[in-house]
Amino acid sequence: MPGVLVIATAPEGTFSRSNLELVGGARALDRVLGAGVSAALLGGGGPLGAAIETLHQHGVPTVYCVDHPALGIGQADAFLVAAEAVARQAKPDLLLVGGDTVGREVAPRLAHRLGAALVTDCVELAVDAGAVVARRQVYGGRALAMHVVHRRPAVLSVKPRSLDAAEPAPVAGRVVDVTVAIDLAALPTRVREVQTEKAELGLEDAQTVVGGGRGLGGPDGFKILQELAQALGGAVGSSRPPADAGWVPISWQIGQTGKTVRPALYVAVGISGATQHVAGMAGSRTIVAINRDPEAPIFSVAHLGIVGDYREVVPALIAKVRELKGR
Amino acid sequence: MEIIVCLKQVVDPELPLREFVIDPATNRQVREGRPLVLSTYDEHALEVALQLKDRSGAKVTALTLAPRATIGDAVRLALAMGADEAVVVDDPRSPDLPGAVKARILAAAIRRIGRSDLVVCGCESADWVERVVAPLLAEELGAACVTFASRIESADGALVVRRQSEDGFHLIEARLPAVLSITSDETNRPRLPKVKDIIAAKRKPLQILPAADLATAAGETTADGVEVRSVAAPERTARCELLPGDPAEQAALLAQRLRELKLL
Amino acid sequence: MAVWLSDDHRMIGATVREFAARELLPIAADLDHTSRFPAEVIAKAAELGLLGLTVPEAYGGPGLDHVAYVVAHEELARASAGFQTIVTVNTSLVCEPILRWGTEEQKRRYLPDLVSGRRLGCYCLTEPAAGSDAMALRTTATLRDGIWFLSGTKIFVTNGAEADLCLVYARSEDAPGARGISAFLVEKSFSGVKVGKVEKKLGIKCSSTTELIFDGCRVPAENLLGGRGEGGRIALATLDGGRIGIAAQALGIARACLEEATAYAQQRQQFGQPIANFQAVRWGLADMATRLDAARLLTYRAAALRSAGRPCTQEAAMAKLFASETAMWAAHRAVQIFGGYGYTQEYPVERYFRDAKITEIYEGTSEIQRLVISRHLLAEA
Repeated sequence: MPGVLVIATAPEGTFSRSNLELVGGARALDRVLGAGVSAALLGGGGPLGAAIETLHQHGVPTVYCVDHPALGIGQADAFLVAAEAVARQAKPDLLLVGGDTVGREVAPRLAHRLGAALVTDCVELAVDAGAVVARRQVYGGRALAMHVVHRRPAVLSVKPRSLDAAEPAPVAGRVVDVTVAIDLAALPTRVREVQTEKAELGLEDAQTVVGGGRGLGGPDGFKILQELAQALGGAVGSSRPPADAGWVPISWQIGQTGKTVRPALYVAVGISGATQHVAGMAGSRTIVAINRDPEAPIFSVAHLGIVGDYREVVPALIAKVRELKGR
Repeated sequence: MEIIVCLKQVVDPELPLREFVIDPATNRQVREGRPLVLSTYDEHALEVALQLKDRSGAKVTALTLAPRATIGDAVRLALAMGADEAVVVDDPRSPDLPGAVKARILAAAIRRIGRSDLVVCGCESADWVERVVAPLLAEELGAACVTFASRIESADGALVVRRQSEDGFHLIEARLPAVLSITSDETNRPRLPKVKDIIAAKRKPLQILPAADLATAAGETTADGVEVRSVAAPERTARCELLPGDPAEQAALLAQRLRELKLL
Repeated sequence: MAVWLSDDHRMIGATVREFAARELLPIAADLDHTSRFPAEVIAKAAELGLLGLTVPEAYGGPGLDHVAYVVAHEELARASAGFQTIVTVNTSLVCEPILRWGTEEQKRRYLPDLVSGRRLGCYCLTEPAAGSDAMALRTTATLRDGIWFLSGTKIFVTNGAEADLCLVYARSEDAPGARGISAFLVEKSFSGVKVGKVEKKLGIKCSSTTELIFDGCRVPAENLLGGRGEGGRIALATLDGGRIGIAAQALGIARACLEEATAYAQQRQQFGQPIANFQAVRWGLADMATRLDAARLLTYRAAALRSAGRPCTQEAAMAKLFASETAMWAAHRAVQIFGGYGYTQEYPVERYFRDAKITEIYEGTSEIQRLVISRHLLAEA
C-alpha cells in the first residue's frame, strides 16, 4: 500500500524504542501526506505477538510480518532481503529505517536494490509542498543540511533519538504474513558472535549526562567526572578520543559513531566539540561546556560556558552542587 | 590479497570555528585556502589495510577521487604510511558530488584497477557524513558488506570482522570479495610514517585516471531526485553565556543557574 | 614561514608534531618531575628515523637536509626540551663528525647503530678546568703497541649514563691548545671507562648529564677519528652543527611559551575580562611571536648554508645566540603572564623557564658566541 512504511526490527524477541520513533515520524509525515502508515516487522528467534500489538497500539493498522530465524541480532544481509521482499509487496512511497548499526548498512543497499532515492541519518522530517524535507547533520555537527526529496520511492534512515516516539493511538490492526526465503548459509555475511558491554547507568536514558573528552588528559580525569555525575544524579559518557585511546569503554562513546543522548542536562568537560561528538548530544535541552580553550567549537552549541581548567572548576562545582542539594 | 583503500581529502575538521564557512552557491564548506587532510576514518581504514599487509603480505592500493589540482600531502601520506601505489581519479566536480555518485565512479575505477579482494573505506567522511559509499560500493561490485568494522580478526579466504554495535560488538564472517567501512578503535590507530618513507613516497607509482575515461554505470543513483537545498548552522535561540570569575566563582554561578533551570 | 619550507619539510614537521603529541606531550611533565630517561620513546623515535635525521641512506638514515632537521627538532623540543637534547647530541655531536671525518669502516661500524637506537652517542669535551676554554683540556691519550690509553675526567656529558659510544677529545700530541688534541671513538665496553657523578640539574631533567672517568681506557688505534692532532678542528667544526641543533631546541621552547601564554591569556579573566585584552599582555605576546620568527629565520639560514656545504660558523653562532636568548626571554615573559599560576607546576611554563636557561650555556655560552661573531666581523678568525 502507498504511504509510509516503517521498517521495524525485532531480532530475537527484542523491540527497541527506536521503532516507535520511526512510527512517530511516519505518522507526522502522514498527517500531511495522508496516504497511510504501515510497518514491516522483521524478526525471528522470539515471539513477535507483543511487538505487533505495540505497533497497533501506536497507530499502525497494517503490519507486514516476516518471522524468520535468520533475522537475528546483527544479521544485516538477512534484514536486507526481508526488507526488500516486504517493500516489493507493499510498494510504499516512503520507507523509514532506523539508523542503528544494522539499519545504517541496510538503508543504502535497500534503496539501491529498489531503485529508490535515499537520505541517511535524518534528524528532522517534514513535508513541504508535497515533497519530503529531511535534515541531517554535516561537518561534524556544525551544520544542518536540508534535503528535499522529489522522487518516489524514497528510503529515509533516521538517527536514533532524534524524532519523538509515537504517542499511543490504538487502531484496529491486521497482520500480513510475508514469507521470505532466506538461506543463512548462502548469505555473504553471517554473525558468528554477539558481545555486549553493559553501559554505565543506561547512558541513553539518563536525564543528566556528564561527557569527558581529550582535554581530560587521561583516564584519571574521568574519576572526577564520575563524582560530578553522581552529585548531579546522572551518567558519564565520552567523546571519541577517550574511547579510541582505551581510557573508557567504547559503550561510553557519544557521537555520530556512538550513542545519541538527549538529556535535560549535558555537561561537556574537556570536549572540544570540533568533531562528530556534537552530533550525538546537540539535542540536549541544556548544554554546559567546561574547556580551557575559548575558541573551542563546543561553546557555539553550549548554553552555559566556563572557560577554565576542569581540574579547578569541577571540584568546586561538585562542592556547590552538594551544598545546594543538601538544603 | 589485493586491497584497495578509498581515501577522501577533506578540509581539516580541527580548524577553528571561524574558518568554517558555507558557500551558499554550492551549499558546501569553502575549501579555498584551507589545509586538506585525509578524512579521519579513512586513515583508520588505511591502517587496517596496512596491518593486513604486515601480517599476510597483501598489496595495498590507495584510491582517491579528487580534482587533480588538489592532490596534496594526503595521497603522499598514504604512500608514506605504506600503501604500495596510488590511483587518483581526476574529476573536477568531485568534492561536491553526493556519495552515491562517488560510489559509482569508484566502482568503475576499482573494476579498471582489476582484481581486488577487499575494499576498505572510512565509515563516514569527516565532512559530508552520508555513510553510503561502502554499502553502495558493495552493491555496485556485488561484494559482501560489513560497515563500522573496527578490526579484521582473520583472513583466510574469508574474513572474520569485528563490527562495532551500540553496546558492544558483533563478530561477522564475510565472504570475499568484500567491502568494509572502518571505524576507529584502540587497535587501528593510524601509524606515523617513517621519515625516510615520507621522502620515498615521492617515488612510488601514482596513476592519474581521468573520470571521463572510466566506464561508469549508467542509470539513476540513490542521490537522484534528492536536492540539497541549503546547508546552514542550526538556529541557536540562545547564545552561550560565558560565566566570569575565577574557578570558584564560575562554579558557584553555574550551580546557581542550574538551580534556576530546575536541573538540580 | 611556509615560503621557506618545501613539501618535504612540511610533511616531516607534521609527522614529528604528531609523534610529539602522541608520545611526548602526555609525559613531558612527568619526565621532568622524575628525571626519567624516556627509553621507550627513544626507541619509537628511532623507528621513525628521528635519531639520525641527517645521516645518509647509505648508513641507514633518512638523509635529510639541515632545514628539515631544524623543523623536526623544533617540534620535539616544543613537547620536551630534555628529549630533544638527547637526540640532538646523538645526531649533531656524534653522527655528524663521524660522517665528516670517519673512515668508511668507522661509518659502517657505528652510524647504522646510532640511527637505529642500538647505540646512543655522547660527546666528551668539557673538563673541570676546561669549559669555555675547551682547548685547554688535559685528558691524555698515549699510544703504546698500537693501542691508545686515555686518562682524565670529562664532565657535563649529555647522555653520559645511557650512551654506548663516546666521542672523546684528549691530548695526544706534545703541543698546547687545539693542535695537541685528537678525537677518539670510545665504546663504553672498552676497559677503563666508567660513569661518575650524575648531575641534578635545573632543567632538561630527562636527559642525563654525567661525569665520565677514563682511567687507562684502552682504545684500539682504528678508533682514532680523523688524524692525530686534528681533534681541535673537529671539535670546533662539530659545534657549528651542534649550535644549529640547540637553536632548534630554543625555537621549540620559545614556541611552547608563546602557545601556552596565548591560550592562557584568552582564558584567564581579571577585572571582568580576559587578560588578553590588556595591552601589556598583548605586547608581550606580539614580541614573543616576532622574536621567535626572527630566531627561526636565523636558524633556517644557518641550516641551509650547512646543507649546501658552505661555511656557517658565524651564522650558526648568531642563530644559537639569538634563539637561546629569545627562549629565555620568552619563558620569562610567559611565567609573568601566568602570574602566580606560572610559578607552580600546574602549568608547564615554569619548566620551560628552567629548560630554556641551558640553551644560553651549553655548546658554547652566549659569551663565546659573541666572541665567534665579533672575530668574524673583525676578520680575526
